[in-house]
Amino acid sequence: MSIATLSIILLVLLFALLGSGLWVAFSLLGVGIAAMAMFSDAPLGLVMATTLWGHSNSWALAALPLFIWMGEILFRSRLSEDMFTGLSPWMNRLPGQLLHVNVFACGIFAAVSGSSAATAATIGKLSIPELSRRGYPEKMILGTLAGSATLGLLIPPSIILIVYGVATEQSIARLFVAGVLPGVLLVSLFVGYVAIWALINRATLPTEDIRASLGEKLRRSRRLVPVILLIVGVIGSIYTGIASPTDAAAVGVVLALLLSWREGTLTRPSFVDGLMGATVTSCMIAFILAGASFLTVAMGFTGIPRVLAEWIGSLGLSTFTLLAALTVFFVIMGCFLDGISVVVLTASVIMPMVMQAGIDPLWFGIFLVIVVEMSQITPPVGFNLFVLQSLTGRDILRVAYAALPFFFLMIAALVIIVVFPGIVTYLPNQM
Amino acid sequence: MLRRSLDFIYRAAGGLAAFFILAIVVLVFAQVGLNLADKVWAALTGRGVGWTIPSYADFTGFFLAASSFLALAYALRAGGHIRVTLLIGRLPKGPRRALELSVVVISLAMSAYATWYLGLLVLESLEYGDRSPGMVSVPLWIVQMPVLVGLAILTLALIDELFGLLAGQAPSWDGKGENLLSE
Repeated sequence: MSIATLSIILLVLLFALLGSGLWVAFSLLGVGIAAMAMFSDAPLGLVMATTLWGHSNSWALAALPLFIWMGEILFRSRLSEDMFTGLSPWMNRLPGQLLHVNVFACGIFAAVSGSSAATAATIGKLSIPELSRRGYPEKMILGTLAGSATLGLLIPPSIILIVYGVATEQSIARLFVAGVLPGVLLVSLFVGYVAIWALINRATLPTEDIRASLGEKLRRSRRLVPVILLIVGVIGSIYTGIASPTDAAAVGVVLALLLSWREGTLTRPSFVDGLMGATVTSCMIAFILAGASFLTVAMGFTGIPRVLAEWIGSLGLSTFTLLAALTVFFVIMGCFLDGISVVVLTASVIMPMVMQAGIDPLWFGIFLVIVVEMSQITPPVGFNLFVLQSLTGRDILRVAYAALPFFFLMIAALVIIVVFPGIVTYLPNQM
Repeated sequence: MLRRSLDFIYRAAGGLAAFFILAIVVLVFAQVGLNLADKVWAALTGRGVGWTIPSYADFTGFFLAASSFLALAYALRAGGHIRVTLLIGRLPKGPRRALELSVVVISLAMSAYATWYLGLLVLESLEYGDRSPGMVSVPLWIVQMPVLVGLAILTLALIDELFGLLAGQAPSWDGKGENLLSE
């Protein structure tokens, strides 16, 4: 059998397993088993056992449960209320007013949590009722929230960047730092869009009249200070090299516990819920990564990624064409798969092709994460859509339509980082 | 009686997995504290001591592996493992049950296979007396054991599911969502 036929068989098998509702981790294992059984005489079971063991005990990956736990603790704290009271007085001058609270609150929460769905839920549970009560148009409330919550993936700490870093053997610290400026870029694009939209559609917006003195504003924002310190501490210690991401995550957990203890939200049930939630999520991701690492090893035996890379190389595509084609491919995959699966499949099959094309794997990680962010708001499978559906009772197509402008803003961000790759690479190169 | 002992096993393993995450925080935080103390000491005396908890990075990795695998069955029953429910969620009851059954059978086969070979790996480590590298060297079979036990409990949980489905019950993860808040 030729390598092309076999690749197609494996691809069909992958989609059949995933589509049937088999858990993602098992689907990856299954395709790996099929690939090795068809292509090589290597001892399948032993290779599987050594890969499962070898790739699951890792110092770098230990940052994963810790950052998830930190997010879980803060999710159960009073942080979302503090965000609203603390941020709203500052938004008075901007056209679009309180709509910007969604963007900035998501940006800030993204910097303490690695997950976009958690970001949408945390900020949305307070801002949706608050903004609808004041008469902001529903489409913009949902859109800003769905769009900005995807920042949770990009702004460090980021679960998906840890997954990418571990799967492709890139430095997680450098990836985190690389995510900072693109995150700021996306926030600026979102804020700019909301402001321009608000200037055009002034009639549909309520007029806010929160005139607060500077002292009053500062007093109201006082409760945000501990969170800001937490963010600066975690990112700063990674950037300056004082702490590795795992170290910073452990300190982050302890500080988050301290914070929620001081404000009185740390109770025995909230502690246990948070810890068990983190245990389950990190187990799910670690299992997918274990399955993916076996798939990567199996793919190495088949030689498919190498052949694919050579084939793409022989086409002589420009980097830009290749990236455009990959973006379309990822967006389609992202419609049906969750972000983590897209990233691990990329690491198993597509990475050699990317390296062959001479693309910086660090830069590509950020590029991939922005594409995955887009997939969070595309139907039928988009986690942010699910969260907003359950918060508002609007069906996902309506939420997706509201989020569409933000989808295009993310495409704009992709084009910008392709044209100016320095936005991604400048900060990590200073480390 | 059987039901209660099985549930106890899943919960105990899940609790142990959580304990290992707690242990990672304590271990890493202690090391960060030592680093800080070292910096202060160096600033005072002009010479760092280089306090470290021996092999702490290795142990962090071992704790992580233990936690990830021990939580497998617990996460399965809590609906924590993600999958594509686009099709399975839209099927009518009969075909849905058939598909759910085949998903469980396929997973069970793979889980049992992985458990078997992990068992062989542990035996091999025991036989050759393999030890972890680093200052504090421990026999590998000890740190591999939680991974084996976790996989075995996952296999057990899948057998449990299989019998439940055959008896006409709904799967234990039914209606528990796809763990939306944590993706």
